[in-house]
Amino acid sequence: MSTKIRRSWLLVPMSKADCLAQARQAHADVVVLDLVEFVTEEDKPAAREQVRTAINALQGCGAEVFTQVDLELLYADLHACVWPGLTGVVISRLESPAQVVEADTLLSQLENARGILPGTLAIVAALETAKGNHAAYDISRASQRLSGLTLGRADLIMDLRPEPSGEIHLMPYFMQRLITVAHATGVMPIGAWWRAPDRGLFATPDNTYQAAQRGRAIGFQGSLCILGNQVEPLNRGFTPAVEELQAAQHILAAYQAGTAQGAAAVKQGDRIIDRGTAAQAQHLVVLAEACAVREQEKAEALSHPPLAIP
Amino acid sequence: MATRRVRRSGLTMPVVTKRFVDNAWRRGCDYINLDLEDFVPQHLKAYARSLIKEAIPNVSQGGAEVYTRINHDYALADLEAIVWPGLSRVNYPKAEYGSEIRRLDEIITRLERERGMRPGTVEIGANIETAVGVANGYEIASASPRVQDFGGASGYDMSRDLGVEMFVGFDQFVYGKGELELIARTLGIEVRGAPFVANTTGSVSDGDHAFRQAEAARKCGFRLGGGLNPAVVEPQNRGFTPSEEDVRDAHWVLEQYRQLAGSGETWRQVNGRIIDRYEADRARDTLEWAELCAEHNHAKAEAVARVQVAMSQASA
Repeated sequence: MSTKIRRSWLLVPMSKADCLAQARQAHADVVVLDLVEFVTEEDKPAAREQVRTAINALQGCGAEVFTQVDLELLYADLHACVWPGLTGVVISRLESPAQVVEADTLLSQLENARGILPGTLAIVAALETAKGNHAAYDISRASQRLSGLTLGRADLIMDLRPEPSGEIHLMPYFMQRLITVAHATGVMPIGAWWRAPDRGLFATPDNTYQAAQRGRAIGFQGSLCILGNQVEPLNRGFTPAVEELQAAQHILAAYQAGTAQGAAAVKQGDRIIDRGTAAQAQHLVVLAEACAVREQEKAEALSHPPLAIP
Repeated sequence: MATRRVRRSGLTMPVVTKRFVDNAWRRGCDYINLDLEDFVPQHLKAYARSLIKEAIPNVSQGGAEVYTRINHDYALADLEAIVWPGLSRVNYPKAEYGSEIRRLDEIITRLERERGMRPGTVEIGANIETAVGVANGYEIASASPRVQDFGGASGYDMSRDLGVEMFVGFDQFVYGKGELELIARTLGIEVRGAPFVANTTGSVSDGDHAFRQAEAARKCGFRLGGGLNPAVVEPQNRGFTPSEEDVRDAHWVLEQYRQLAGSGETWRQVNGRIIDRYEADRARDTLEWAELCAEHNHAKAEAVARVQVAMSQASA
């Protein structure tokens, strides 16, 4: 199975023309056009009208395009968002499987009406409330479209504040719970291990890189972010480093040499390389290759002029 | 949601120890928890029960709420003896099943009616102290509207049940506490919890530690305190109350937030700090809580003054 490489999910406020213009060049794996967190209530109607144009403008830049929609305004937001060129939607504050089914049905209707291959639009569930996290397992199994789970801005929405240790209260528990549920249901766990003073997906580039590295270590595969300068640290943090890749290649070579001679495990330095260790190394090599391919795709896309879509 | 009650500090004391009970009103705590359980020896259980009715008005003279911790194994006999006007909460140790809480609720409902107390006056504190309690957390917390806060899964009994050590330099209850907090938040009831602050000595009278713990808990959004020694009451009251600086800061945040209105922006950065609606909500929460604390301090001070006047008149 080829895993999608979606390390950086850049949230771009739909009400900000300059942010939209910069999004093409941001090198994000995914651009998420936001209608929820960074658009004021007054600006929402106008922002919705701009989504189709924004989706078109992002075609050919190498990034996949998602939109972040408001559960309470789901009908209007999805009608504004579902156009060819969209990969999926992040649904903010999801709380129940019934809500996923409702979104699934709406997406099917819109796919039909707008000439999109049925069943292709993905749903990422942002579990940002207690109810949503409590129902995570059922939510994650409620639709074939469900392709990712994230805690989104749960720290702000649930008012989880920093502890003296620097951890954001309850997050170590929530992250492990979400990652376990995501892997149990075969969807992507999206997030990073933020620590104070990081808040609401906002952090300096350095802290973003640390959060991505820690996040990858506990099973996250990519994270949402808010600022353009967080994209590169996320891409880097969720990509195996050169030394990691080399170490993995050495492990694999040693293991293959050993198994070729009939051994189940081989000794490399002080380590025992068995099937599990080799499988992990193999996974890392595959991930590194997929990341390299993804980088090349984006670089090539950006070297071409934007496609004109009528 | 109803106005949050102010429960920053509280002393749990055996109701059979007369000098603790007689001095309780002077301690300045927000509640007194009269114990029938682990601090009362087995041969005094029946005697202890008989003391609660008169102890309630005694310990509440200084403005404290009154709770009683009953015995898991004698819950029914204890309830008959303790549900009297003035009691605001029954703490039920080692809660393990929703059916237990429903049974307590039925009995309390009957006793409230028989004894002229408004229905629903007496809360149930469902203390989770075993692995079974954690596993059944949701059914326990949702078993009765009398359960108005929930959390725990730490302490001596939990340690023993799980076979973990008690005073270590790290948080040994991450999973259980997380489960119960998620349940409380899912049900929309107050979280009984606290961020981890290492206590490796087990001291119950360390005021500095109590203050640090209370302050960290407040800054994390928590409000509920309590302890065993009078020395921690004042530090807990202080730690759980927003300082003057915190109040000034909250006003500043709200002022900055007001300037966002009409700008089309949802957030901005001022002096390196992010100002948005979430920060504004936290600031409003701080101000509201500071006001509740001030009101409560005032009410307690007046209650204590009334007792002192009455005592001096009696001795004159």
